[in-house]
Amino acid sequence: MFDEDEIVDDSLEPETVQTASKNEVDSELGQTRMEVAYGAGDGDDDAKAVVARKASMGVLYEQIYRPWNGQLGPRWVRNYAIFRHHVYGIFSSKGHRHYNPFVRLSILVIFLTSLTPIAMIFLSVTISGGEGSDWLNRMWGVNRYNLWGQVLGYFPRNLCMWPLLTALVVGGMISDDRKNGTSAIYFSRPVTRTDYTAMKYLSSAVVLGFVIVFSYMLYYTSAIVFNGEGWAYLIDTLPMFLGGLLAGILLVITYTSIGMALSSVSQSRFFAAIGFLAIIFGTKIVALMIELIFETTIFYILSPYDSLAHLGQWLIGIPANYEHSLALSIISVIIYNAASVGLLITRVRSLEVTRE
Amino acid sequence: MSTKPTPAVLLQNCSKWYGQVIGINDVSLAIDGGVTGILGPNGAGKSTLFKLLMGRLKPSSGNVRLFGVDPWQSTSPYRRVGYVAETEKLYDWMTGHDFVSTLARLHGMTREEASDRASHVLEFVGLADVQNKEIGKYSKGMRQRIKIAHALVHDPDLIILDEPLHGCDPIARTSIMSVIRDLGSQGKTVLVSSHILDEIERITEQIVILHNGRLLALGNLHAIRDLLDKHPHRIMIRTENPRKLAEFFVPEDPVYGVRFSQEGALEILTNDLSAAHDVLPRVIVDSGLKISSIENPDDNLEALLGYLVGGA
Amino acid sequence: MMDSQGRGLSETVWTRLDRKAGAITELTIRQLRHRLSTWVVLAIGFLLLMSLLAMFVGGVRGGWEPIDNDGDSHDGDNDGYPAGQELKYGSDPWDGFSFPGSGDFVMEGEFQWGSVGIRSGNYTWRYATGMFTYDWIDENPRGGERILDVQSLADCPEGELFEDFWLDWGDGCRMEENRIVVYDASFTGNGTFRVEEGFYAAWGYMEDSFYVEPEPASNYIDEDDIDWTGDPNKINGFDDDGDCLRIDWAGEPEPQWWWESRHDKDANRNGIDCDVVWITDSDGNIISIIPDDGVDEDPSEENLAYEDAHRAFIIGTGKIAFVMILGIFLPLFLALGLVRDETENGTLHYLLSKPIHRGEFIIYRILGYLIIAGGFVLIMSILMGLVTAVLGPGDSIFRLRDMIVWIGIAFATILALAAYGAIFNSLGLLSSRYGVYIALVVGVYEFVMAVLTLGGATLVPVLSVSHWTLQLIDSIVLIVWPNTIEMHLIATAFELPSGLAAFWNPPVWTLGTENPFISALISVIILLLITTLNILFGQAQFKRREIM
Repeated sequence: MFDEDEIVDDSLEPETVQTASKNEVDSELGQTRMEVAYGAGDGDDDAKAVVARKASMGVLYEQIYRPWNGQLGPRWVRNYAIFRHHVYGIFSSKGHRHYNPFVRLSILVIFLTSLTPIAMIFLSVTISGGEGSDWLNRMWGVNRYNLWGQVLGYFPRNLCMWPLLTALVVGGMISDDRKNGTSAIYFSRPVTRTDYTAMKYLSSAVVLGFVIVFSYMLYYTSAIVFNGEGWAYLIDTLPMFLGGLLAGILLVITYTSIGMALSSVSQSRFFAAIGFLAIIFGTKIVALMIELIFETTIFYILSPYDSLAHLGQWLIGIPANYEHSLALSIISVIIYNAASVGLLITRVRSLEVTRE
Repeated sequence: MSTKPTPAVLLQNCSKWYGQVIGINDVSLAIDGGVTGILGPNGAGKSTLFKLLMGRLKPSSGNVRLFGVDPWQSTSPYRRVGYVAETEKLYDWMTGHDFVSTLARLHGMTREEASDRASHVLEFVGLADVQNKEIGKYSKGMRQRIKIAHALVHDPDLIILDEPLHGCDPIARTSIMSVIRDLGSQGKTVLVSSHILDEIERITEQIVILHNGRLLALGNLHAIRDLLDKHPHRIMIRTENPRKLAEFFVPEDPVYGVRFSQEGALEILTNDLSAAHDVLPRVIVDSGLKISSIENPDDNLEALLGYLVGGA
Repeated sequence: MMDSQGRGLSETVWTRLDRKAGAITELTIRQLRHRLSTWVVLAIGFLLLMSLLAMFVGGVRGGWEPIDNDGDSHDGDNDGYPAGQELKYGSDPWDGFSFPGSGDFVMEGEFQWGSVGIRSGNYTWRYATGMFTYDWIDENPRGGERILDVQSLADCPEGELFEDFWLDWGDGCRMEENRIVVYDASFTGNGTFRVEEGFYAAWGYMEDSFYVEPEPASNYIDEDDIDWTGDPNKINGFDDDGDCLRIDWAGEPEPQWWWESRHDKDANRNGIDCDVVWITDSDGNIISIIPDDGVDEDPSEENLAYEDAHRAFIIGTGKIAFVMILGIFLPLFLALGLVRDETENGTLHYLLSKPIHRGEFIIYRILGYLIIAGGFVLIMSILMGLVTAVLGPGDSIFRLRDMIVWIGIAFATILALAAYGAIFNSLGLLSSRYGVYIALVVGVYEFVMAVLTLGGATLVPVLSVSHWTLQLIDSIVLIVWPNTIEMHLIATAFELPSGLAAFWNPPVWTLGTENPFISALISVIILLLITTLNILFGQAQFKRREIM
């Protein structure tokens, strides 16, 4: 299977004008090459000597390449084409970036799993009244902890779902182009490297955001709709919802940054994917181990997940699990993003348009 | 060892298809001794044939035997076979000598034996002076030759070369050709595939022609050529006044047409090349025109294949 | 033809096989060695272990601070008495009114959230909200939280309390020379108190007050060591700090949740208050410990915690850094492409045109990878072992048993590397299109199963390699340090915040014998079985594979 990115925006194609200079074959006297070669024309005519007076064997097409003088679409239109190419690929491979069916399946499964609280809220509404409903609502209903957990909970979301999702989606974004040399398709067109990187970044972030942030918004909205909550409820819970939303967006941005940076330094999507999983899982588990043995939480600042979780706890307004200062976690998130984006930009800037 | 009861290569009604696509279609073939050229355009089934022989693929029907053994079942015939795959990739980080000696060790040689043999074959293919350079720094011709060297390192009886001349410059091509001819003259069975027929012509006269997975022709190049005499031939005569010369040729019996394809040249079309050559001197003398050259542009493999493919 | 060149009779099939194996293994090693990513991955693994080692060395050099295991050295209510001293005197360590010698408050009257009330006299006022005009006030009250600190009252802002300004609980402000406004505060004074409508105040006097000298917090660190006589028939365990024997606990709340219970002097139901029941098997090995509440709960670190933390570091590093990080990610990085990359590049043709069986080929490839990954793991574990064995607690210059455990950890990790290498390799052979993706999911799954195993789950993770590897480490630890199980029991029984309990669990799969050799053997057999089956599966796939 080809994984190459294909350009989709037709408006970018330079126009080629073909004019056929019609040196007609003299039908009376000449014969086409095939007829001469096999001594057989249409069937019954004898192979006899025919002297060609003017024998022009075939037709030459004159190739005239005229510069395309049309209006170049605005930059955002061109960029949108790149963006669209990557995002639509999740739904249909036709003319869009090819996502492995397994990746698409994983996105679907992870998305559906992240919607389970909605089913639980729905269940609690349908069996309304009684212990069971109450319990379901307490376990899965909207509160600070559940809003935090919907994006930043460790098990299962940040242990099984988000890192795998990021690894699968972002892993090949740039490394595939490096491996196949398909970045040439972009760089031979009026697309700057910045546009290229930014659009790749944005499309990955949108795919992740669709699963992580959109499911979070769905969860909150459906809780309001199913429980028939009023404006007062909305006013009460909106600040924490917005806090969680911000935390979710930060998570998506941070994961995308790290994933894209790894993708830009690898030549294989799997190396980038494994590298991402190793960073997310490794830093967390080592920090946990250090906390248990040496009784300090400071090493959690090395873990992108924990820094985000710490920040998220503050944004939503629940007590922090970490003893170190929030500022350190914020700095860690910023450094992770800055270093990743910096690496990404340097790598793409020096990307050689070859098959590596 | 030279009196083998079975031919080196034997295919019996062998077919191989990939889903709907046919790679090899009912091919029966026995080859033993000498250099044999496997001809055919891209996609004719040359590589499929070789991969069947090397046990990479399992025949969909029919039998493949390499020295009498089914290569899909057993690796034992590989002791006597050297295979040059068409793949371009090599271990670029290895030196040429390392590459050949490492692969030689897979024949069960000791390190020293392998090293000696590697030096020997590298000498033979003309890479002795660069054998300690990394393969990544080799030119295309050198890369092809190092591939040949690894196939020769165990002194095989049968050597299979898949497109060994592909992408080489004329100098590299000449030296590879001479290596192949040398192997043939050492009494080994050599199979060479190519779609550039001129190359094969310069190596051997014994050919197998494949097209669309079918066996089109088998045997000596000239014998095949004679079998195809019914097909039209051309004789190109360069002269100052082609139109005048044409007038003399048209009434002749073997000639059924003439053509003016180039300035100052006359193309005579015939079905019987020898008959045409018989009348040629007389007609030229009759015309009294000055002739600068006479060529038979069809007397090469390119045209042969063209006719076979087009006419078969 | 080669055979006719006069090879010696010593040439047998085996030596030739051996040479082929050597050649492929060597090729694999050299291939891995020539990839930058191999070095990056190994370097990161090295950095990880070195930083852990640096933490360890830093921990050793910094010495072990005595740990307050039961947390009773803190003065939670800020009344000047550490919690341990309060418990001994039966006062409430979380109530600022209640402290050793505080006496009891006898209430004479109260205003209860009704209309405006006024009361004059010399009283102790409690939970009072309102305005107090006095001619005398106790400026040096004893006690902690919610006791009014009269000397440092700020001036009130303009306006009315609760309308124009707010006060904290237990706080107040000064309106004039002899007039203060308080919110839910307690103090003693002579004057007139005015309670605003809808607020509360109570008044009365303190009874049986006496002075107790506050003890320093350090008295309540390591104050209740474990007293084990070695004879289960004697009385074991003594409440050194008196927090079990305490007569009464004034402010102890009623249990609200099913997991909460009241302080129980005879929690182990042996008829003796404040002791510890040690249950041993017929060989004298401790198999269970049940202490009464508040007995032996703060042992000296000298005896237990040093060793405990040291072992926790070794086991934790072994399980987390070696098995969960190196064990899972090294194979993902290095073994995934062993055969797959060759197939994709087409270089497989060079190797397979030699008289070598495809099945052997897989084994030698895995062997080559194992030599690199396993060698790295072994070297790292020996390095770690050298440092911990020298710096560890105890009198011996070199703790040999540390080294044995480290080599055991390396052994377990290498078994995991082999199993994962075989699994990932056969996944790559199973499907070139999906195999690697599935391998990624398997990697995540294995990590999750390892987390569950660490958390003590025994049933769900049995279908994972990491579970058996971690159990193998548990078994090896128990074989080398048989008293780990006692340390684990002690830590669990006395609720000590022990790293050991977090990282080590007694092996489960012992066929009921509780013999660590059996669980180690089972783990090794299962890991080898997984490896073998996967190699066989991969070989079967590869043999049937048509290579384009």
